[in-house]
Amino acid sequence: MSTLIILIGAGLLVPLFFKGNMLIAKYIAAAAFGFAALNVYMGNGIDMEYFTLTPDIQLLEIVVLVVLAATMMTFGGFERPLISQTLFLGAASLALLETNNFLMYIVLFEVIAIISYVLGANIRNRKNAEGAIKMFIAGATASGFILLGFAMFAMVSPSFNYAELTVHGNFTLVAVGIMLAGIFYKLTVVPMHGWAGDAYAQVNHAAAGILSGVIKTVVVIATFKAFYIFLQAYLDTTVLIFSFFAVITMTLGNFMALFQKEVAKVLSFSSITHAGYMLIPFAAIASGYSYTSLVYLAIAYVFMQTSVFLILNDLRREAHIKSLDDLRGLYQRSPIHAILFTIQLLSLAGVPIMAGFISKAVAFWAGVDAGLWPLVLVAALNSALSVGYYAWLIKHIYFDETDGYNTSKISISAGSLLGQIILLAGTLYFGIFATPIFLATGF
Amino acid sequence: MMSIELIFGPMLLAPFVYFISRGAEWVAKWAALALFVGLLVISVDMYQALPADGGFLVLGDYLRVPGFDYALTLQVDALSVAMLILTAALLILVVFTSWEEKMQASYFSLLILFAGPIFGVFMTTNLLWFFIFWEMTLVPMLFLVGIWGGERKVYASIKFFLYTHFASMLMLVGFFLVYKQTGQMDFMNIKEAMIATPALIWWLMFIGFAAKLPLFPFHTWLPDAHVEAPSSISVLLAGVLLKMGAYGLIRFVVEMMPAETQHFAIYMVILGLTTTLFAGMLAIYERHIKKMVAYSSISHMGLVVVAIATVTYDGLSAALYEMIGHALVISPMFLIAGWVHHKTHTWYMDEMGGIMQKAPYVSAIFVLAGMAALGLPGTMGFVGELTIIVSAIKAYGWWIAVAALASLISAGYVIWAVRRAFHAEISPIVAKSKFDMSAPEFVALVIYAIVIVLFGVYPQPIFDVANNAFAMFGGM
Repeated sequence: MSTLIILIGAGLLVPLFFKGNMLIAKYIAAAAFGFAALNVYMGNGIDMEYFTLTPDIQLLEIVVLVVLAATMMTFGGFERPLISQTLFLGAASLALLETNNFLMYIVLFEVIAIISYVLGANIRNRKNAEGAIKMFIAGATASGFILLGFAMFAMVSPSFNYAELTVHGNFTLVAVGIMLAGIFYKLTVVPMHGWAGDAYAQVNHAAAGILSGVIKTVVVIATFKAFYIFLQAYLDTTVLIFSFFAVITMTLGNFMALFQKEVAKVLSFSSITHAGYMLIPFAAIASGYSYTSLVYLAIAYVFMQTSVFLILNDLRREAHIKSLDDLRGLYQRSPIHAILFTIQLLSLAGVPIMAGFISKAVAFWAGVDAGLWPLVLVAALNSALSVGYYAWLIKHIYFDETDGYNTSKISISAGSLLGQIILLAGTLYFGIFATPIFLATGF
Repeated sequence: MMSIELIFGPMLLAPFVYFISRGAEWVAKWAALALFVGLLVISVDMYQALPADGGFLVLGDYLRVPGFDYALTLQVDALSVAMLILTAALLILVVFTSWEEKMQASYFSLLILFAGPIFGVFMTTNLLWFFIFWEMTLVPMLFLVGIWGGERKVYASIKFFLYTHFASMLMLVGFFLVYKQTGQMDFMNIKEAMIATPALIWWLMFIGFAAKLPLFPFHTWLPDAHVEAPSSISVLLAGVLLKMGAYGLIRFVVEMMPAETQHFAIYMVILGLTTTLFAGMLAIYERHIKKMVAYSSISHMGLVVVAIATVTYDGLSAALYEMIGHALVISPMFLIAGWVHHKTHTWYMDEMGGIMQKAPYVSAIFVLAGMAALGLPGTMGFVGELTIIVSAIKAYGWWIAVAALASLISAGYVIWAVRRAFHAEISPIVAKSKFDMSAPEFVALVIYAIVIVLFGVYPQPIFDVANNAFAMFGGM
């Protein structure tokens, strides 16, 4: 409980400093996340009925809190209103991760959805507004589906505790299907991805980093826990449905990313593609490695995806970089940004030795272990294809010269540098050391 | 004995060297040289520590993960140490031949960064870590080709990266299928546990390695990458990266799945022969001097595959000899081809002519390397091609002697190239060019020339290594 109090308390406190020195607000928030992470590390969960703190969730929470703390440090003046929202989001994320009750899952899912609309609604121009509206409408539709499915499910289930969920033949199957349709919107699974490609690119990049990085990670883990019993119960359907959606999400995400001209759009579609990879552990539910691989994918993803959007936010703020052409010669203008960006992009592309590779490798192994090698083959080839657009970004950064009029150096603030170094450390640490994740998930 | 430090040391050192030498560029060059000399000394030391009767020298076991056979197991045998020595030696020579490269801080830091994973490739026996290092070598290469390359560097570097990455992914799926079947990820344990391999696994892994070698029809990335790369990097691509493919083929296909390999060997022979003859024909046709060398390189790697496909002691020793020979013979050819372009600003041999008169020593080294490529007795090329053809005839019968055509074809393109570019009348372009070469570069070329002749006349040291490496296939 104390963790929630720290986060919510800080969230209520920081607006007092918005008018004065932004740095104070920023570092109060970062410190709150730091204390919260320490508190979770010491084993203090929410400690109420319907919430349990297991080692896997403990690890995930620490990762999420550290990533949010790093995110805080990179914020500039324009991101001021996001600070308290992010603190509330942190609290809601912990609750969603720890819950063991289906009703709480649905409620907290909605809480996070609402916070995400507010994050998106940090509007400065028409484009931001368009993105925020798209996200809101898609999110509201998704909520409708989820509530409909949940209402059907509630009719037949005697209890909502995960351990006591029961399956009532095809009726539950339909209810679960409808709920998943709604959740797929949030996870940006093709064909429910339409809003994300635009919204992630159009809202403020820092908010997009939190939306596409942190929120997606939290939601995907909570969903796996909540639906585990149904996925097991309808094994054949699970394999069929999730393999199908995994393949089309990865493939379409990749192909769309290849044709984008804006950096933010490339990153948005890369986020959609990663949702496809995250469906592999769902399809491989029969393997003992499925949950481990999902946790690994989520942890790797939250570091790298948040980091790339925050770097882009820095570049937009300092040098108005938007399109791929603006990236030309970035290495000459800011070697630090260029190197950080490159490492995280290569990690997203699944190039060793970063976390992006080994997390995918464990997911592929879970797939092979469950006997789904054709799915894994498609995923592996998709992963190779994705190098096409990541390498294309790298090509602009290093191999192209600047176009002449945009040659000014780009500076990096101390806060940004510190935040990015924390995110980089996570990407590299989990790329080399897999043991913490395997231990936390019961190996 | 040092082990994990050899891999992660250079990787950690690279960023430091980069940031320190941004102000004083010479630091990077000397740091790289010192590191590579150190690596060579340690590799030679490792060779002396190997068990005399073949088998592996265990160096350590790190980063073990519970429940997942993912541990950085480091152990080397004669084959891997031979590759380590070759790599370290080539890296030293590459420092010499890049002595006057531009943007030295980043160039040499990338070379240092490359040294770590390439040592990892040859040192680990864990499939997943092997894959990790295998893929990591691509990253510094992407930048080295993409930043320091020729006119079409962007196309070449990204094509190289994508193409080989694609093939590697097939290999990764193959590795996981092996893990699924045996429950083991370590080469040593797999060899014991593997009873019968499904054809699927064999093909997935074979294609992964074949694209790196490269074998026809997966070879199309190579001419682009090798031509556009700066010459010293072409040396690394041909001398080290292609060897990774051959090494992987021997270790993880032939040694791990000998029965399956024997079953599919005929396809390997056919692909190897096709590659040799096809690439040789293309080399004859080529006017572009560096492309000609690149095709010659592919052609020789085809012969290596023919030798590997015999799955006999003789064939594998011949393959190892040719792998080393190819690295040492093709490197001076690449270097001189790049140097000639640098001086004359043309790639086309029919626009050159008479270089011999203006730069006799360097031209003589090209001629020597060319003669080695076509298999002149007294050079490494002769011993390599002869042993390959003899071992292949022993394994497959007389028809395989068509491989000797490769020698004939290479005589065609080498002699014609020498005739057009180095002899003949002095062309106007050559007449107005100045052919000077920095001392370190020249020293490196002379070293190549000496080694080509030395091991050509006295090949025993390499066959001693082979004897140790392939003892399980019979031995002498």
